[in-house]
Amino acid sequence: MTGQPLPPPDAPVAGQGDAKGTSPGPTTLRPVRPRWRETLGLLARNPTAATATLVLIGIILMSVFDETLAPQGPNEIDVADRLQSPSWSHPFGTDDLGRDILSRVILGAGVSLRVGFLAVGIALVIGTLIGLLAGFYGRWVDDVLMRIMDMFFAFPAVLLAIAILAVRGPGSGNTALAIGIVYIPIFARVTRASVLGVREEVYVRASRSVGASDLRLLTRHVLPNAAPPIIVQTSISLAFAVLAEAALSFLGLGTQPPSPSWGLMLAEGRGFIDLAWWLAFFPGMAIFLTVLCFNLLGDGLRDVLDPKQRTLMAGGGR
Amino acid sequence: MRATRPLALAAAGALTLTACGGGDSVDTGGGDGGGDNTLVAAVSAQPDQLDPHVTTAYASFQVLENVYDTLVVPDPEDLTMQPSLATEWETSEDDLEWRFTLRDDVTFHDGSEFDSADVVYSYNRIIDEELSNSFRFQNVESVEADGPDTVVIRLTQPTPNLLERIGSFKGMAILPENAAEDLDLTTEANGTGPFQLESSDASSTVLTAYEDYWDGAPSIDGVEFRYITEPAAALTALQNGEVQWTDNVPPQQIESLDGDDSVELETTASVDYWYMSMNYARPPFDNRDVRRAISFAIDREEVAEAAWFGAAEANQTAIPEDSFFYYDYAPFERDPEQARQLLAQAGVATPLTMGLMVTDEYPETVTAAQVIASQLAEVGITVEIETLDFATWLDRQGAGDYDAFYLGWLGNLDPAAFYQEQHQTDGPNNYQGYSNPQVDQLLLEGSTETDDEARKEIYDQAAQIIVDDVSYLYLYNPDVVQAWAPGLSGYQIRADKAINFENVELP
Repeated sequence: MTGQPLPPPDAPVAGQGDAKGTSPGPTTLRPVRPRWRETLGLLARNPTAATATLVLIGIILMSVFDETLAPQGPNEIDVADRLQSPSWSHPFGTDDLGRDILSRVILGAGVSLRVGFLAVGIALVIGTLIGLLAGFYGRWVDDVLMRIMDMFFAFPAVLLAIAILAVRGPGSGNTALAIGIVYIPIFARVTRASVLGVREEVYVRASRSVGASDLRLLTRHVLPNAAPPIIVQTSISLAFAVLAEAALSFLGLGTQPPSPSWGLMLAEGRGFIDLAWWLAFFPGMAIFLTVLCFNLLGDGLRDVLDPKQRTLMAGGGR
Repeated sequence: MRATRPLALAAAGALTLTACGGGDSVDTGGGDGGGDNTLVAAVSAQPDQLDPHVTTAYASFQVLENVYDTLVVPDPEDLTMQPSLATEWETSEDDLEWRFTLRDDVTFHDGSEFDSADVVYSYNRIIDEELSNSFRFQNVESVEADGPDTVVIRLTQPTPNLLERIGSFKGMAILPENAAEDLDLTTEANGTGPFQLESSDASSTVLTAYEDYWDGAPSIDGVEFRYITEPAAALTALQNGEVQWTDNVPPQQIESLDGDDSVELETTASVDYWYMSMNYARPPFDNRDVRRAISFAIDREEVAEAAWFGAAEANQTAIPEDSFFYYDYAPFERDPEQARQLLAQAGVATPLTMGLMVTDEYPETVTAAQVIASQLAEVGITVEIETLDFATWLDRQGAGDYDAFYLGWLGNLDPAAFYQEQHQTDGPNNYQGYSNPQVDQLLLEGSTETDDEARKEIYDQAAQIIVDDVSYLYLYNPDVVQAWAPGLSGYQIRADKAINFENVELP
């Protein structure tokens, strides 16, 4: 039976605030927000996560300053200069149309990350909202919303994305939308599970008992405290979104040529693999590094944001 | 023919044996496996359907070439028309009546006899149902039988290219009478060709030798057309001995394969041409100056080199250099300055955006489109490339839902086939919407002129106007590139890309 708004009144009130550090003073039962400075500090002390973060910052900077960094335009064709192996003038070599692969890999970062962030942004906003409502209100709201989410979940992710692209037509904007839609149910489930735990917390019940509105409850108490798993999910989803963009572009449904998407470059390079390995190798490495770093960051965040782990880490570090 | 009968029967016996015992070896794909005498050919695509009168897909004709016959066929060497199901023909004084004498020793794969009623049925099916090749009969008044061995075709006007019209490819195949009622022709076949259709599914089409073939049974037991989309994979399969023949050779490998012992590679100039077509219904592409500007902005040599690694000849008209009807006309040297002027003259604000529809079914369209995009960018035209699957591509072409597309026409023999259906007002393949009364008049004259020299002159004039108006923006004629296992004999590479395995012998 879901949707019992209040637990039995004799539930223990104490023991709630181990990592949440109930603030002193009689005015409020609201817990202190996750402490960001401490979180970042813990993350920095995790060498894997710290390295991953640095690499990601590097990739993001690269995509911001891509035009300045790239030695050539991504679509400067020079057929006479095609299939040149890596050299000083073309560190990553040239492709079958004589385009500089280093420039294309640099400019491809922007394409991949834009689609990744946009897709995860869509999934995050809609999925979290759905999960929040389903988890908080329970009953039929929960049933209706989550059954719809189950429907989405029933399709294999890539297949659903392909179907959406088949309807909407190929292109990077539609790719972001398709990946976003596919990831909505993931965020909805993660959020709902987290909210189910939080909404029975004593500070929520207390706030409700003094007449706080649902909106206030949701935004001030439930969402902030349900956030950690969502943040972890965001990082991991970014990895998958970058990968999905590459896969869809590889299949010809995502970013359209001549835009330098990594997945598309991989697809174009595969026919030349025994003739010119560098065509597929460098975009492949770029995908590999980006996805790996988002995953490692996700792992690091999970460790840091998990209250039990956090205490262990904080304690162990001192 | 009679003398070969006992031999054919003996071979039939052998086939039954291998067919019973060798069922597994086909599945394992082991090419040189013990006693299996089936040729495995790697082709790039699955036939869309097997009705020869309806399909327009090259993948279908690769298979149908070996299953059906036509009254006349192109000679593999010079593509002139030779007897096939018709042994001889004569024309009346006024060129309006053609009498074809048919072979009397031909049977269909189901054993029934071939006679004139089958020819009349097949041609009338194309005409009455207005199937995709009905334009080939546009001068035909009637097709009638005169006894079982004679067919008479009456014309409304002299048609010098009638033999080409009825024989250039298996789209004009002879079906048994009432075939469309008796069979589901999209998946079944009953022809008179050297092979009969065994099965066709999502991975391959299998043919078995027809032992009673009128020209003697093939020496191999059958052919399996296996679909391998990826050129590199098809080549690897050939090098591994998994397949014995392929036409899906990556162009970038042509050079390195030339001296390679693991495969035998042959190339020959084809009769294909590749072109870009702009939609007249979508301004500003209805403006001749805009199309000419685009034509001036493109460097055809670079596009051909990018797509074919040297195995294609740039050409500003359709007909390739080896043809008698080749017309050396090249008014568009690349000139970005003039292109910009023409755009300004047309009052078009740049950057102008042009969607360019290409298909991954023909990867060269994707490659060529990128080169074109980079060349047009220099004159202020932004090309948005749309890569579609071929079915969607065809739908959108049919619906006129495009700014421009890039594709090729394959296997054309007669100048009328190069120009008429594509550029005649409301022609069946005039998707772009070109209409020029002068061209219509010339194409009409060309289709009835019986003297070759005079015909060439007419088509030269037509080609000049078509090129100047940029009805099609012609780019290049590629080579036919095919490769097979060393030691495979009896196969002949052809300019019209017809693939005939009748006389092939495995190593």
